Amino acid sequence: MVKDKTGAIMVVGGGIGGIQAALDLADSGFYVYLVEKSSSIGGKMSQLDKTFPTNDCSMCIMSPKLVECGKHLNIEILTLSEIESVTGEEGNFHVRLIQHPRYIDIDKCIACGTCAEKCPKKVADEYNTKLIKRKAAYIRYPQAVPLKYLIDKKNCIYFRKDKKCRACEKFCPAEAVDFDQKEREITIDVGAIILASGFQPYNPAISDSYQYGRSPNVVTSLEFERILSASGPYQGHLVRPSDEREPKKIAWLQCVGSRNTRIGDKGYCSAVCCTYAIKQAIVAKEHSAIPLDTAIFYIDIRTHGKDFEKFFNRAREEIGVRFEKSRINSILPAHDEENLEITYLNGEGKVVREEFDMVVLSVGIDIPKESIDLAQKMGVELNHYNFVSTGYFDPLRTTRPGIFVCGAFQGPRDIPETVTQASGSAAAASSLLSEQRHTLTKEKEYPEEMDITGKAPRIGIFVCHCGTNIGGVVDVPKVTEYASKLPNVVVAEENLFTCSQDTQVKIKESIHERQLNRVVVASCSVRTHEPLFQDTIREAGLNPYLLSMANIRDQDSWVHRSNKDSATEKAKDLVRMAVAGASKLSPLYRTKLPVTKRGLIVGGGIAGMTAALNIAGQGFEVILVEIEKELGGFAGNIRTTLQGDNVRQYLAGLIEVVKHNEKIEVLTETSVAGFSGTKGNFKTVLGVGASMHHREVTHGALIIATGATEYRPKEYLYGEHESVRTQVELEGMLLTEGEKIKGWKDVVMIQCVGSRNNSNPNCSRICCQQAVKNAIAVKEINPDVNVFILHRDIRTYGFAEDFYRQARQMGIHFLRYKEHEDPIVEKAEGKIHVTFKDLTLGREITIESDQVVLGTGVVAGDTEDLANVLKVPLTSERFFLEAHVKLRPVDTQSDGIFVCGMAHGPKTIDESISQALAASARACRLLSQDYIEVGGIVARVDPELCASCLICVRACPYEVPFINNDGVSEIDISKCQGCGICASECPAKAIDLSHFEDMQILTQIDALLEAS
Amino acid sequence: MIVAERKPIDEIIGFVQDCKKILLVGCNECVTVCYAGGKKEVGILSSALKMAFSKEGKNLDVKEATLERQCDPEYVQQLSEYYDQYDAIVSMACGVGVQELAMRYLNKQVFPALNTNFMGASQGQGIWEERCQGCGECVLGRTGGICPIARCAKSLLNGPCGGSMNGKCEISKEVDCAWQLIIDRLTGLKQMHMLEEIFPVKDWSPAGHGGPRRMVREDLKS
Repeated sequence: MVKDKTGAIMVVGGGIGGIQAALDLADSGFYVYLVEKSSSIGGKMSQLDKTFPTNDCSMCIMSPKLVECGKHLNIEILTLSEIESVTGEEGNFHVRLIQHPRYIDIDKCIACGTCAEKCPKKVADEYNTKLIKRKAAYIRYPQAVPLKYLIDKKNCIYFRKDKKCRACEKFCPAEAVDFDQKEREITIDVGAIILASGFQPYNPAISDSYQYGRSPNVVTSLEFERILSASGPYQGHLVRPSDEREPKKIAWLQCVGSRNTRIGDKGYCSAVCCTYAIKQAIVAKEHSAIPLDTAIFYIDIRTHGKDFEKFFNRAREEIGVRFEKSRINSILPAHDEENLEITYLNGEGKVVREEFDMVVLSVGIDIPKESIDLAQKMGVELNHYNFVSTGYFDPLRTTRPGIFVCGAFQGPRDIPETVTQASGSAAAASSLLSEQRHTLTKEKEYPEEMDITGKAPRIGIFVCHCGTNIGGVVDVPKVTEYASKLPNVVVAEENLFTCSQDTQVKIKESIHERQLNRVVVASCSVRTHEPLFQDTIREAGLNPYLLSMANIRDQDSWVHRSNKDSATEKAKDLVRMAVAGASKLSPLYRTKLPVTKRGLIVGGGIAGMTAALNIAGQGFEVILVEIEKELGGFAGNIRTTLQGDNVRQYLAGLIEVVKHNEKIEVLTETSVAGFSGTKGNFKTVLGVGASMHHREVTHGALIIATGATEYRPKEYLYGEHESVRTQVELEGMLLTEGEKIKGWKDVVMIQCVGSRNNSNPNCSRICCQQAVKNAIAVKEINPDVNVFILHRDIRTYGFAEDFYRQARQMGIHFLRYKEHEDPIVEKAEGKIHVTFKDLTLGREITIESDQVVLGTGVVAGDTEDLANVLKVPLTSERFFLEAHVKLRPVDTQSDGIFVCGMAHGPKTIDESISQALAASARACRLLSQDYIEVGGIVARVDPELCASCLICVRACPYEVPFINNDGVSEIDISKCQGCGICASECPAKAIDLSHFEDMQILTQIDALLEAS
Repeated sequence: MIVAERKPIDEIIGFVQDCKKILLVGCNECVTVCYAGGKKEVGILSSALKMAFSKEGKNLDVKEATLERQCDPEYVQQLSEYYDQYDAIVSMACGVGVQELAMRYLNKQVFPALNTNFMGASQGQGIWEERCQGCGECVLGRTGGICPIARCAKSLLNGPCGGSMNGKCEISKEVDCAWQLIIDRLTGLKQMHMLEEIFPVKDWSPAGHGGPRRMVREDLKS
């Protein structure tokens, strides 16, 4: 008998990729082991200050995911753990892990920080890139998950000096320190493994020409992130390390460790450094109190991501970041030994020597040795750069079946691409184990809720010392005593840590013994701790919404440290408000709606078909809608990939598999005519076939995969001269018209046609690779031909750089033209004259060419109608807009609607495949639920008061309120996100947000003002 | 709808400075929709007045009420039970509502809290533009649905004046030339020939130039 597969999956690496994969899998019915080598999850993203191109705070957007991962019932985080071996096979792996001791009992630690405070040993803090010191007892960073301290054995005095010291053990109030902990060997059975171990920044100390390690004012980009960060060594003040003074001039050197074949460097492009350098320059200027000069030294600016080009334009045009096209290979210390001198060729070809206060090395993405060893232990093959080797059309599958990969270990990539691949790898693993869904997951059960209707409030209040965090400033016993006398309070207790496990038990006992029907916790922020306390009171049979919190830490003890008496008085005020508010709380309920377990995919290109196959593979029905007569989409025009894979053959095979899949219904010549419903239960009207007859289908999720089109040029004699064609047209010729190509002597390729200009400010991402690919192919057919590629920057990011190098080695000429100085293409007898200003010679050159090939950009298809019907927003270039550019790259703002492929923005086929899988993962996460819960904190309209003014309709960011048939506003609770904007805007006071009703808020304000 | 905006607070305080108790009345129609006198604005003005009084060491008692419409006597009547307890009434309706209150409650001073601006349409959140002057003789059928009476600074009827520049009116670069809009629209509709017929001199008597207007519908009268 064949053994059943295991319904658990291991994710290796707890960075943003691993976190996303774990969440998607755990939410889709699989038990997840998240293995992390360090003491907490968060990875590199947790060290970043801001994220491009929106300059959102990295930690702010990431910490909700950390918290979600940490408290997920079906994610088991194994920190300080490393994989020793993987035996077994796809579906049934046995993984042997070694878990290193933390020397602090994770169940007892209450994260009070006493151990770190008392620890006498200071060591360099790796989280802050060693710019400051931490203790030997420490947490990596304040938001770390799990929020548990550890002892760094290498530096601990106890371990180094004959068991002396033990300060942490002596002072720990929870008796959590355990010096006797031993290394543990664990064996875990899983059905699949996802490798998400990420990258390390390239170490520039390998080269001695950058002064790195010799001058403190030469820092890596990751070090600079910490310098900028508010939680970093200088609290976000932009100062340089040597004298902690504000720099006036900072230089960024691009391609440090990347795009170079010399020993120790990497031949690939790290793909992220250009955009992060721009971000850092912008943020540095914002942080700087004095005018700051920022200069970025580069070879090519590679802002090929969605909307990144606009970010680049804003940096140079509005913010005044300087861009100097010059690769810098060495830096010299200036005469004062603190500044640094850079010599470069400026735009006019003159040698310039310039002094800077500080230099940031834009270091690339490197694979750490541990990852190479890990791959070896797992039996996973690596490519020539030590990244995981995957097939072009199956970019997330490693060479060992059942083991998948995502993120920077698969290739250099940024956060959204990592998150996309993470979801994609989750989809691939889920499809492998779909029958085992929900076999190993746990579900929490709660007792029946107490009915509190008509009962007078009986409030229990728990005031937290938070170690010394609150107790060191606020007189907690006094506040507790005060609270005990407030109206309706029947229990008032103080706790050292209200969030600790034992206090949860105490709270539950109090609820039972004293028949509490409201609970107030006076401690920290609802943002981090409300879910915990809500869960506690729910376990004791109270509705979770009968909890109120007073933040006497973040909003009191932390900000009034120097004024203890006033802080105590403020704590009393906050407690009095919370108690008054609690008495007005009422239970809220969520209702369950069944989910229609079927997906609808609009667009039958590679992205749509890939998503369809994966959803079907995960066990759900799919309807795949294509507007054209045949499946295939734009890929039908492409012969091979840059890497040489046969696209036609792949596409033909894919179409066959999709057509024959029992779970997929393909509807060609079909478009979307109407759409209604909410996530889990949509109804779409399709116009089917040439007759466009209407058919209504129901489905739980929708994926937009409508692709994009090639820009049709109006410039460069296109359409007027037979020898001017697009790259796609040239690609068509390669197969059939080789003889003609053999007759060519000079071919000119012009890049950025229809991209990076006023009407389409974005980079089309794929055209540089396309030009390199076709130039090599032309050269292979006709080795004597001269190929000239006129470009503004060559953007062969990632491993595509290899082919750019190959092209140059083959003698293909790459010549740069300047923005706003486009080449001129003119008819001449039998030839076409292409004239442009060469930037090296500084003069005009005319090439008499036989053939002009235009690198036309990608433009969005006719997306407006579909966007209107689905009520999904578009970018200004009419690509579909994702819900969050970093962390929700395939979700749209409308729950249950996802986007992938070129409908989202220009991308290569392998990127489209990853994204299609990601969209499928997000869709199946929804389809795998039997029910979705709606309600809770939502807005309600009183139709009697509504003046139908439309203000809520206009104000809602989610487009939920509408004027119904009775002529009044209506809010669908299954769509409402509970933000409360409508309630605050309504001029007729017809809308209330439950849990934040006017009466509840006013009661608190009254309590504050009636005062002492 | 009728578009109004609240008067400066000092002017309103000036009206009621000698009062101890006032009745503050909003309207749930046009002025709610244009964010000037709905229930929420009544609450805001009430708080503002109370704060202003307490700053002066005085006390002001404000009764807040928002009627469905202040331009219908049945709704106005709803205040009759308690209006007498107050020193004055402040209306947050348009000028019509203020007068209806004043006519119904003769023994009380009634003050306006709003300036009534125009009849217009919402052009997005927080933006309103004038669209109609109630001239009593609609010409929109011949002007492409764009009103030269309300939207041309000179209310010209037979084409633009010499102050039309690049589609804008000479009074401000912010104001579109109504005649440019009319011509553009009629061109688009291929109806430019409609302008060949000259508008005769307009009879302004139904526009109010013949004195206050009154309308009686015999078929509806009870």
